[in-house]
Amino acid sequence: MLAGAGAALVAAPASARIRPGSMQPLIGPGYKPVDTDEKGLWAQMERVEEEVAGSNLLIKDPELNRYLQGLIGRVGGPAAKDMRIYLARVPEFNAMMFPTGFTVFFSGLLLRMRDEAQLAGVIAHEASHFLLKHQIRSWRDMKRKTNIFAALAMAAGVAGGATGTYTGDLVRLAELGTMLTLFRYSRQLEAESDALGLKLIADAGYSPISMSETWDQLITELEWSARERRKRVRRDFSLFSTHPAPRERLRDLDLSAREYAVAGKSYERGRERYLQALQPIRQTLFEDQVRLNDPGASQYIVETLAKDGWNGQLLFTRGEIHRLRNGQAHQQAAALNYAQAVTYPDAPADAWRWHGVMLMKQGREAEGRTALQRYLAMAPNAPDAPFVRQMIQS
Amino acid sequence: MMGRLGKAAMLGTAMLSLSACVQTRQIADLQFTPPQGDYKLLVMRPDVTVGSVKAGGLTEPRADWTETARTHLVTALRAQQAGRGGQTTILDRRDALPGVSADMVAELERLHNAVGSSIALHKFMGYELPTKRGRGLDYTLGEEAVKLGRATNYDYALFLYAEDSFADGGRVALQVLGIAGCFVGFCAPNIGGGGQSAYASLVDLRTGEVVWFNVLQAGSQVAGIKFGDIRKPEGAAQLVERLLGRMKPGRDVRRAQAAAGQNK
Repeated sequence: MLAGAGAALVAAPASARIRPGSMQPLIGPGYKPVDTDEKGLWAQMERVEEEVAGSNLLIKDPELNRYLQGLIGRVGGPAAKDMRIYLARVPEFNAMMFPTGFTVFFSGLLLRMRDEAQLAGVIAHEASHFLLKHQIRSWRDMKRKTNIFAALAMAAGVAGGATGTYTGDLVRLAELGTMLTLFRYSRQLEAESDALGLKLIADAGYSPISMSETWDQLITELEWSARERRKRVRRDFSLFSTHPAPRERLRDLDLSAREYAVAGKSYERGRERYLQALQPIRQTLFEDQVRLNDPGASQYIVETLAKDGWNGQLLFTRGEIHRLRNGQAHQQAAALNYAQAVTYPDAPADAWRWHGVMLMKQGREAEGRTALQRYLAMAPNAPDAPFVRQMIQS
Repeated sequence: MMGRLGKAAMLGTAMLSLSACVQTRQIADLQFTPPQGDYKLLVMRPDVTVGSVKAGGLTEPRADWTETARTHLVTALRAQQAGRGGQTTILDRRDALPGVSADMVAELERLHNAVGSSIALHKFMGYELPTKRGRGLDYTLGEEAVKLGRATNYDYALFLYAEDSFADGGRVALQVLGIAGCFVGFCAPNIGGGGQSAYASLVDLRTGEVVWFNVLQAGSQVAGIKFGDIRKPEGAAQLVERLLGRMKPGRDVRRAQAAAGQNK
């Protein structure tokens, strides 16, 4: 019986797509827990939020935080006003929602979003975890399954003792089966969040196809990253994964978007608004990404963002990616990119400095000095200003 | 005349009696003497958590039990310190200290978290550092602690952590099944579940050093048998007494006292 349960779970088929129209939030505004186990979880999370809120990893720019809070207000469903959003300076694509309604977004995610609609999709996905009470449901699922497993294992042991048979192997198989169902439940909850998230952003007027775009971008980024490092993409997905496979999410979100979008309705992308809100920290985000030393991924991000138009910042970043790599070809590519970057009005000061240095290396000293002087004019108190002055004079 | 039943009962009792204990162990600076006279003690926010152990082994946090336990612990602390002389203040919020920002208190809490973990690892869990052998408790919270002491005029700071958990009905039932199995040849009398662990850490705010550290473990390997219940006033008082009530001086001081005693 137990063995059968284990085997059946290993061979389970992929779950059916959850239709956005069928999802409803489970909580309303001002929600507070009444059940004992949920209260215990919330009490623990208060301490966690206290530490998160005091973390020195947070990006505290007030305008940006106001922008994010406003965005969560638009797509956060009925409990939007109760949610808090914290932005952490971590150059990775990730975001997480905690049981009490506070969410942490990593700065790497903000870098990768092309417009407000894409970011709204991720925010709505996280908000859905809270709206659908996923954390307490997950806890209860874990509790129930481990209780059942412990009872069955003990019963099997006692029965085996009474009858003189060894039940150890069956118990191990049942343990595997239990773990697999825990992971499968987690994947189901993630799929629920995808579905409700899509509904929330579409209802708020954002283009629903943006969510599948996000996954397409992430999948391709991982491929470019692996290709540069001459490795194969880590096919992380397995029966032990907590999230559905990225391609499965991409496919389901694409189908759901086409199904749920109202024909003829014009949805917004909010690209201008997004870039403006991100402007104060965008240069930092690019720098953090380049310093990860993952040129394939960094290149992909720059090229993707450039689909909406090249500018000085993007060209400068592409130059940086090349400059930090070994070999003549990369150094030449870097020089070309810097030269192009400085033709745009938004080129950062550093672009002028590296442009000047590259010119000097090529023997074009007069032009190099002009570029370096431009750098000094833009950043007179830069830490390397004395060195640059010396370069100009020598 | 011991029948099969009698033998099993004896075996079970023997296992039960060997499978529970209360352990404390304290470590102090070599020159440490317990605070006495008119000292001012600041007790940082006690970190208390009480949970319920489920049949499957998961421990579920209980907000109500935690709050009750925290209240009783604070009361017990006050009573215990009142009996020792000196003035004690117990912090309940980070911003409750006049003259000191909540951030400063937060930083000290986090620092002590890290230092306390190191002490636990290197002094109590057997991963002893060779450079710290024979030097007592050689840890400090540094300048920040001294600053706090100067700003608030306290002599000592006490950090407290207490955790307790209790097996729920399902867990106890499983335990009973396990013991019953002993009679048919599948003996699982010690599935455990529930237990207390706590530490107390005393920091001298005049030097910033951690001068005394005590760890308490009280647990039963038999679910359903408890050793003190910090949700009750008596249980909380018992924990405080076990943790703080038998503060001994440091090694050098004890040796000096013993030598002085011998030379009389």
